[in-house]
Amino acid sequence: MSDQKITIEFNDKVVRQFLLASVVWGAVGMVVGTLVATQLNYWQANFNLPWLTFGRLRPLHTNAVIFAFVGNMMFAGIYYSTQRLVKARLASDFLSQLHFWGWQLIIVAAAITLPLGFSRGKEYAELIWPINIAVTSIWVVFAVNFFWTLAKRREPSLYVAIWFYIATIITVAMLYIVNHLSIPTSWLHSYPVFGGVQDALVQWWYGHNAVAFFLTTPILGVMYYFLPKAAERPVYSYRLSVIHFWSLVFVYIWAGPHHLLNSALPGWLQNLGMTFSLMLWAPSWGGMLNGLLTLRGAWDKLRTDPVLKFFAAAVTFYGMCTFEGPLLSIKSVNALGHYTDWIIGHVHGGTLGWNGFMAAGMIYWLLPRLWSRPLHSIPLANLHFWLGTVGILLYVGAMWTSGITQGVMLNATTEGGTLLAYPNFLDTLNTIRPMMLMRVIGGLLYLVGWFLLIYNLWKTIATALPVNGTIEVFADEGVTAHEDKITLVGTFLNPPVAFSILGVGFSCAWMFGGDFLSIAGMFGLLLCVVLAYTHFESRGKNWATWYDRLLVNSAPFTILVVIAVAVGGLVQIIPTVLVDRAANVEDRRQLPYTPLELAGRDIFVSEGCYNCHSQMIRTLVPDVLRYGDYSRLGESIYDHPFQWGSKRTGPDLARVGSKYPNIWHLRHMEDPRSISVGSNMPNYPWLFTTPTDVAALPGKIAVQRQLGVPYPAWTDAQIAADFNQQAKTIAEDLQTAGGVIAPDKQIVALIAYLQKLGKYETVAPLTSAAR
Amino acid sequence: MTPIPPPEDDTLRHHSFDGIQEFDKRLPNWWLMTLYGAIIFWVGYWAYFQWFHVGLDGPQEVTREMSKIEAARLASAPTTDNASLWKMSRNPVFIEAGRATFNTLCASCHTEKLTGAIGPNLVDQLWIHGGTPTEIYTTLEKGVLAKGMPAWVPVIGAKKSAEAVAYILSFHKEGEPIETQAAWIPQAPK
Repeated sequence: MSDQKITIEFNDKVVRQFLLASVVWGAVGMVVGTLVATQLNYWQANFNLPWLTFGRLRPLHTNAVIFAFVGNMMFAGIYYSTQRLVKARLASDFLSQLHFWGWQLIIVAAAITLPLGFSRGKEYAELIWPINIAVTSIWVVFAVNFFWTLAKRREPSLYVAIWFYIATIITVAMLYIVNHLSIPTSWLHSYPVFGGVQDALVQWWYGHNAVAFFLTTPILGVMYYFLPKAAERPVYSYRLSVIHFWSLVFVYIWAGPHHLLNSALPGWLQNLGMTFSLMLWAPSWGGMLNGLLTLRGAWDKLRTDPVLKFFAAAVTFYGMCTFEGPLLSIKSVNALGHYTDWIIGHVHGGTLGWNGFMAAGMIYWLLPRLWSRPLHSIPLANLHFWLGTVGILLYVGAMWTSGITQGVMLNATTEGGTLLAYPNFLDTLNTIRPMMLMRVIGGLLYLVGWFLLIYNLWKTIATALPVNGTIEVFADEGVTAHEDKITLVGTFLNPPVAFSILGVGFSCAWMFGGDFLSIAGMFGLLLCVVLAYTHFESRGKNWATWYDRLLVNSAPFTILVVIAVAVGGLVQIIPTVLVDRAANVEDRRQLPYTPLELAGRDIFVSEGCYNCHSQMIRTLVPDVLRYGDYSRLGESIYDHPFQWGSKRTGPDLARVGSKYPNIWHLRHMEDPRSISVGSNMPNYPWLFTTPTDVAALPGKIAVQRQLGVPYPAWTDAQIAADFNQQAKTIAEDLQTAGGVIAPDKQIVALIAYLQKLGKYETVAPLTSAAR
Repeated sequence: MTPIPPPEDDTLRHHSFDGIQEFDKRLPNWWLMTLYGAIIFWVGYWAYFQWFHVGLDGPQEVTREMSKIEAARLASAPTTDNASLWKMSRNPVFIEAGRATFNTLCASCHTEKLTGAIGPNLVDQLWIHGGTPTEIYTTLEKGVLAKGMPAWVPVIGAKKSAEAVAYILSFHKEGEPIETQAAWIPQAPK
């Protein structure tokens, strides 16, 4: 090694930019969150304005806090820590700036399009297709910038934080691209390529793992850097890092179907979702343990250092949520908690507690290091911590109480189990009103805490100078020794990887094989476990040595991560997509929508009705008693996107068709409280004045045909004629009942759609469930 | 960073990253047991439901439960033909039970005297949806949703519904004339 030393200046400018963006978008996202929480309890807060209604603003809230707040925070944390962990400046200043400004542009585009009602109708994937392409491109910019930096690293070995960053970049790209595959019908609208159960499965594979790989793994990486830094203590256990990293990234992907328990999703997928969620508990707690136990010997600092307070609380909330997650994935618990506020409480324990507090801790720690001034006020930061903590506890406590109360009421029966105890949905809604108010108060406290951070930040940096970190390195430092290089073959032909692949292979043979293959798979799995155990006991050193070598080989490491995160999705999604769609319907097949109904459906999606109404009657007695026969696979087979929903702030709509007369819907959409006393649903006056976009229908129907929906080869004129005929019939029926409305208005199309829900044709039942 | 003496005789890994060092503590037993326990549960659960097909899947389970409920309902359901309903309407036990149901659920629209307000008068001989006992019961079964009359049978069950019909019928006589009324003009309750 030469003696010549050079000084590297880190690119901390982009870190400062992302940090400030995160703080600002965090405030925006939380303000919108407080507004939508208020709307749930006070419908007046929807202001009768389309762009301020809950259905449009809730996606804005979720997208803002996930992609804008946590996204920017993650980029700041990753860029700051990676440069130091690999002893190299970010590879490209240009890409860094492109990444930053591109991401902010995407956020602005989202903040404009979502309130305008441009939506794909899938949760956390609402953004329209041109923005999807921008997100993918900027993510590629991020990936190139990151991996290029790794390639130029002077520290050969990859620290555990970097493992988590690699997993994040790879997996988010995979999830995002697959779940956003769509065919455009215009610049602002598209239909997802998957429909019905396929769309449901892909959506929750994405939705669940967005939580995993956008809100969890990058933040775990951030924890592994900033927590030991702030505590000035060594990380508790390296081998725990290894085990919990690999088990976490492998198992997480399989757990998506737990969002669809007791639904029409085939049973084998539900069983995978539940069991893998339980297996996820220990890997998740591995991260919590390594965080909390790193603080051993530093607990006294918690009294004085707000940064460590935030970190310790964040990791505790992480542990709480990752226990609650598997608990909620148990089918019987899920039967109570799903569709209720319990889920909202669960999510906010994670976002407010884990993400928000990790962000706050990281920001308070970074401020004096990125600017030339110590933190303006430590007492204020402490106050922020306590306001935030009390806010979270109020919020989460309220949601637990509310969710369990409503779940119990909705499931309660009387008269020997033959009747619902609370047949009126509104009785259950109005019981939880006080809890909804408590949530607003908890959220407000948390928001006030965040504004304290902004004030503290402003006072710290307003008159300070930006500072860029530097490091002295030897000019030729960090070259991986030749004997440590791992070839492609060596990536796989080594005990840990070979045993893992064999184990997964045998497990799949056991789970999915026929009679003989199942037995062979079980036998092979047992043999594999025994051999692996014996080998590890006798030659465990080889495993450790090999892993040490893997850590200086970033490409083989990345390849193994790709495989680990891909397996679960491949096993679940490929069979579901390849299966003959028309046959995989159980005993019912939905009737395709008429042009008017399709237009109505697009309005339903655009208004975000799915944020409060499910279209999935579960295979549970209380659901069937309340909403009718349970939903079959075939009943949503042509739905692009699926609208099974994830929350019932209002009742399920799967069989609402023909339940009420047209005039009921008209009056209800005009003023829900005139029909349903105590309802918290917004009024939709603009649907009565806005004309339906008939001109777009031929293009939309053409795309639906491409997607396999059996529409006849209609001409544009036939579509318009069919549309007008049905609209006229409905308008006339409304007029008879005393409702005067022009047939071309959106409300007519929406009523047509609602009246179609639950209409099907009977088909011969399939004897063996398609696997 | 300043090394603090470790609380136990831990060995630090030789490498440090930007000053961050790592212990290599063994994994806690309870943590390993949690992991292994979950894996064993997966094997058992999968075998129970998917391999040996002992456990019922969702549709099978709910179909079985619903048929039990159906059977219980059929066993306890009162007969709702004209003759039986007239008979119930002369039985004080049924009338009393029906009065209680009526006053809680129906009186807000039909008034406690049954003379009508928001909903129509039920003691005169004018009927909109039919005045035979079976027709009245059907109105309770289907509701008149457009006018705000809910379908009560699915909500309160067949027994309470029949009792309420019996209570209404107790204000009438078998064989009295039934005249058709086109509509009821809602009035504010007095």
